[in-house]
Parts: sequence; structure tokens; C-alpha cells
Amino acid sequence: MKGIFSVLVENKDGVLSQIAGLFARRGFNIDSLAVGETDKHDVSSITIVSTADARTIDQIEKHLNKKMDVIKVRRLDEVKSVSLEMMLIKVSYTAQNRSSLIELCSVMGAKIMNVSAKSIMIEIHNTPDVVAEFLDLLRSFGILEVQRTGTISMAKS
Amino acid sequence: MINGAEAMVQCLKAEGVTRIFGIPGVAIAPFYEALYNEPSITHVLVRQEQAAGHAASGYARITRRPAVCVTSSGPGATNLITALATAYADSIPLIAITGQVDSHLLGHDVFQEADMRGATESFVKYSYLVKNVNDIPRIFKEAFHIASTGRTGPVLIDIPCDVQRNELKGEFVYPEEAKIRGYKPSVIGNGQQMSKVIAAINKAKRPLICAGGGVILSNGEDVVRSFCEKNGIPLVSTMMGIGTIAKAHPLYFGMLGNNGKPYANKAVANADLLMVVGARIADRAVPKPEKLERRLTVIHIDIDSAEIGKMLGPTIPLVGDIRHIFTELMNADIHIDTSEWIRELEEIKVSTVDHRVFSDRLVNPMTLVQTLSEKMDDDGIYVADVGQNQLWSADNYVMKNGRFLTTGGMGTMGYSIPAALGAKMAEPDKQVVAVCGDGAFQMSMFELATIAVNKVPLKILVLRNEFLGLVREHQEKVYDCHYSGVQLYAYPHYDKLTQAYDMDYFHSDSNETLGEELDRFLACTNAAIMVCDVDSANNTK
Repeated sequence: MKGIFSVLVENKDGVLSQIAGLFARRGFNIDSLAVGETDKHDVSSITIVSTADARTIDQIEKHLNKKMDVIKVRRLDEVKSVSLEMMLIKVSYTAQNRSSLIELCSVMGAKIMNVSAKSIMIEIHNTPDVVAEFLDLLRSFGILEVQRTGTISMAKS
Repeated sequence: MINGAEAMVQCLKAEGVTRIFGIPGVAIAPFYEALYNEPSITHVLVRQEQAAGHAASGYARITRRPAVCVTSSGPGATNLITALATAYADSIPLIAITGQVDSHLLGHDVFQEADMRGATESFVKYSYLVKNVNDIPRIFKEAFHIASTGRTGPVLIDIPCDVQRNELKGEFVYPEEAKIRGYKPSVIGNGQQMSKVIAAINKAKRPLICAGGGVILSNGEDVVRSFCEKNGIPLVSTMMGIGTIAKAHPLYFGMLGNNGKPYANKAVANADLLMVVGARIADRAVPKPEKLERRLTVIHIDIDSAEIGKMLGPTIPLVGDIRHIFTELMNADIHIDTSEWIRELEEIKVSTVDHRVFSDRLVNPMTLVQTLSEKMDDDGIYVADVGQNQLWSADNYVMKNGRFLTTGGMGTMGYSIPAALGAKMAEPDKQVVAVCGDGAFQMSMFELATIAVNKVPLKILVLRNEFLGLVREHQEKVYDCHYSGVQLYAYPHYDKLTQAYDMDYFHSDSNETLGEELDRFLACTNAAIMVCDVDSANNTK
């Protein structure tokens, strides 16, 4: 199963390494990780997505809670939360496939950020599955570079 | 105005610390200077940093408070890591203070710089690198709070030398309380879960308690015992739980696990309700936990919620402090009749044959542990090392009203001598005996100097079979008697060694002379080593 954890942590040095270390040490898998400061400068928010069996997901939550610098752990339900990811992707194009590439971007709600003689840089932000799908669709054009932010999630209420 | 080092000493004073264990170095020199001027704190100079950690562990387990060990930076600090890992695995509250290079040099790989926060990340409950001298009072307050509450454990405070030298702004004020927003350990058991626990006990026909080290860490021995007696519930223990109840107690059915009593394992196999109390369900105690959870109701009580569900999915989890929970359970409405079950267990105990055969040559290790622990004072402290001696000790120790200290989690050889030293310093009037093999002895032999210098009348009993016995046993069974790298030979000459350290020497090489020699050994008022020769053919299983 997929576990989405929204974790509020003390915004101080070494905390991210503690969290990453916990996952590495106990063999927990990280699908995606996103970190940023919240509205309070001393609190950061980490969104961690992990795929594992139910007992392991449970253990992840408990071990996150055990960390002294973790202020709060919320386990988010995929349906009852909004999850977004952003991707910057550079693909090559030719005169023949340029228009279909632009059309694909427009259908998927992606923005063209930069165009050079041989490549186009595209930005998309959407749910993680749409971003993954878009990435797949672009494979035939020739992907030159990809940057993804990792998922950020928030409960609907 | 005081400087950081003086503030550190003031913090220790405020926490009531009167004894610390350590070795100084340049990076922690300001602290030692402050200590020089503070008569209320005694520093015990050990001979290697690992021993400082183990001695503090023994001291903490007997005083039931966090104990302090101190080292310098770099190799001094890294030497301490094994002791921290040991304390972490056994949940022993320690405060480890390590000196560090000057702040502006951090991360430059200068002389004796080691990233202690990084290196100990998985071996401590929490760690600090102090960057601002004004944070010292808060950090010490937090460190003692973290070490001694919830699931207890070691906390590291790494302090750069310049921070120790810098002056505090304003007056030194030690905080009244620690405020950590991410840390609120549950003490009181959840009401609903408590009701479920009580209902399950009332429904049970064959209830059994499995007591782990958590019972002792929560000071819960007396209340768990009273609970068993009030409701007629039998008890088995893990190795770390030895000490919960006297061996002769009619409700005690031994240590479980693959190194334990077969009848204790049969008790688990025949129970319909198992209350796991402050135990990790580690592989040596319960090799196949998934079998258990299919067959019976499991109540798992632990202060650490992450222990619950780690190895087995309990039917009823209950998070909280064992002493607190059992005090409440004493007042609960529980009415069960277990007399039939107890009779059955007594029959199992009598009829279960122990197939182990010990050699009659030299000293029988089973007889040795039994005789020694019977002869020891009722409230004596028995510190078992690691190896065959640990398993023989755990299996045959006659618990009366004393303490049984060992490292069950990490299994660190060389633990017993420094830990016993710490225990003896915590309770100078109590009889303390360290029991170790000749392998483990030589891993902490250098601490004989600390014993001699401090005139600690500690007793060390060495089971000498001239082998790293437990590995030898493994090689005998698994590797077709290919004894590879396990032979120690007859060194050292213990008679000469005791002479070198002004200790008394005792020796037995037969079951006939054992009792008398043990009497002389225990009656001796000086520090002493007694060597018992044991046939290397003796195994634990």
C-alpha cells in the first residue's frame, strides 16, 4: 500500500538527515520526498510517500513520531487529500514532431518555459500519476533532462 | 560571569550528579578545569572510553537515574560508541558528553575531529552539537529529560572546545522544565485499551505474563509481582527481565527463548493469553512470533509504541509506563481462577527434561552459577558478561532480592567488569560480582587499574575454558568442529595479574573445592579475581 506522510519538523540542521537515516536504517522505502519551510520559520514540512505493507507503513508512522525533532506526523488518505507534484522536463524536437509536442502540452495543461533550436523545456504541475503519465508520453520525443519536486500533500479538511 | 564549561558543571550539579566516568583530552579540557574546582562531583578516570560508558551504564541501572560519561573529541569519542550502542539496545539512560574541535574548524577534518552526531545517529535517543554557549542550560535540561523519560536511553552532547571557553551572557539559570514540542511520551495507558486488557484477562483461562527489561526500567518489579500474586497469573521472563521475580517464587516459570528453560517455552505454547510486558519480542526470545499471534490473544504493553507491532501484531496494544499501568491494573475488577493452569504448569516444569549434559571434569558451569548466586547476599548484584557465561548465568542464576545486570540487546563482550565497577560505586555496601569468560575478561582487563586505584572491593569471577566458547560451540555444531580463530590458550597468568593490581586471587578446578573457594572469595574484603576452570567441551545447549 501507499503511505503519504505529512511531517512537521523543527527547522534546524540535521533533521532531514535524521529522517532519511531512519528510512535507510530500517529498510523503509522512499518513493518521493519534498521539504520546505512552512509559514513559521522554525517549522519545516516534509512530505514522504512510501510504498510498503500495512505493518511497515504503521512502523514508519511510529518511528517518525519517535523522533525528537518531529513535531507532528499526519498520515494522509489518497482520496481525502490533494497531492501535487511539479516537473521540469527538457525534450528534443524536430520540425516534424514540434506541433504534436505543443499540442500534447496544451492537452495536459503543461507550460512551455523555454525553447531552443533543438529542445523545449516544459513545466507541469499536477497529481503524481498525471505527471508520471506525461513523462511516459514524452519518451518518444527523446527526454534530455528531468527534474521532479517530489509530492506535496495536504488533507482536504 | 561563568564560562560554558562552568555552566556544564553547574548543570550536572543541578541534576544531582555526584559521580562521572571519563577520560579527558584537550577538546574537553575546559570542562575538566571547571570540574577541578567543583568538589561535589567525583570523576572516575577509566582506562579506555568504552569502559566509561559501560561503567555509567552499571551506575545508571543501580541508581535508576541517568549516569554521565565524558570523553574528548575524535578517537576518545569514537571509543565510546560501542558503549552507547550497548546502552541504546538495552534502553539505559546515559548522558554522554564529548569534547569537540573549535566551532570554526568543524567540518575541516582537523586533528581529532570526528562527526559524533553523525556517527552516533542510530545509537542514541537524541544528540546535540552545542553551537552557542547560552544554550548549555537548556540542552542539559532537555538531555536529562529525554534520557530518563519515555523509553529511556543514551543522549549525546557534543561540545566544541571554544563553546566551553566562551562566557555565558548574564546569570546562569537552570531551567525548571524541558520544553520539547515533539516529545510527549505516553505514561498513562489509554482508557479504552485498558478496558480491553481487563476484559481479555477476565476471559482468559491460561494467562501468562512475559516480563522484559522494561519492567525493571520502569521500576515496576514490585507492582508486576503484586499483580501476579493478586490474580494468580504465572510469569516467565526474557533475559533482560530477570530480576522481576525471585527464582523460587511459585508463580515464576523461568526465562523463555532458545537459551531459556524449555518449560518456560512450553508455558508460552500452552497459554491462551500472553501479556508481553516491556519486551521487544526479539529473535532470541521468540524465534517465530507469527506462530504466536495466530494462536493466542496477545496483549503488548510497552512505553515505546514502535515496539508494538514490530515483530508481532498484538491483539491488544497498550502504550504506557509499566509501573503506572500495573498500579492501575491492581485496582481493576479481575476475577479469574488459574489454579488448574498453575497446576498444569507445575507438572510441565517437573516433567520437562533438560537434555543438557555437563562435563564432570573441572568445574560444572551450571553448578558454579547456582552455587555462586545462592551464596551471594540476597540483595547482591550479579553482572553477567556475554558469551557462554551469559547464557549459563541467565539460565542458572538464583534470583533472590538482588539485581541481574547484563547486556541482552547488543551482547557486548567486556561489559561486566566496567558495569560492575559502576554498580559497586552506586551501591558500595552491596555485594557486586562480575561474571565473565576468559575472552570477555581480556576485553576489559585494563580496568583492573581503575578498580585498584579507587580501591573498589569488586569481585570478578572468570570462567576459564581457554576459548571464545560460544563461537567455538557454534563452530562445533555448524562448521564441523573447525575451530577457527577461537583459541585463547592459558593466558594471562591470573595469579600474577592479581598481584600486579593488588588484588586477591582465588581458584577452583573442581566441583569439590568450588563451594569452599567461593566462600573465601565472597568473604574477602579486598578486590578479588576468582578463576574457575571449565571444560571447553561444555556447551550451552
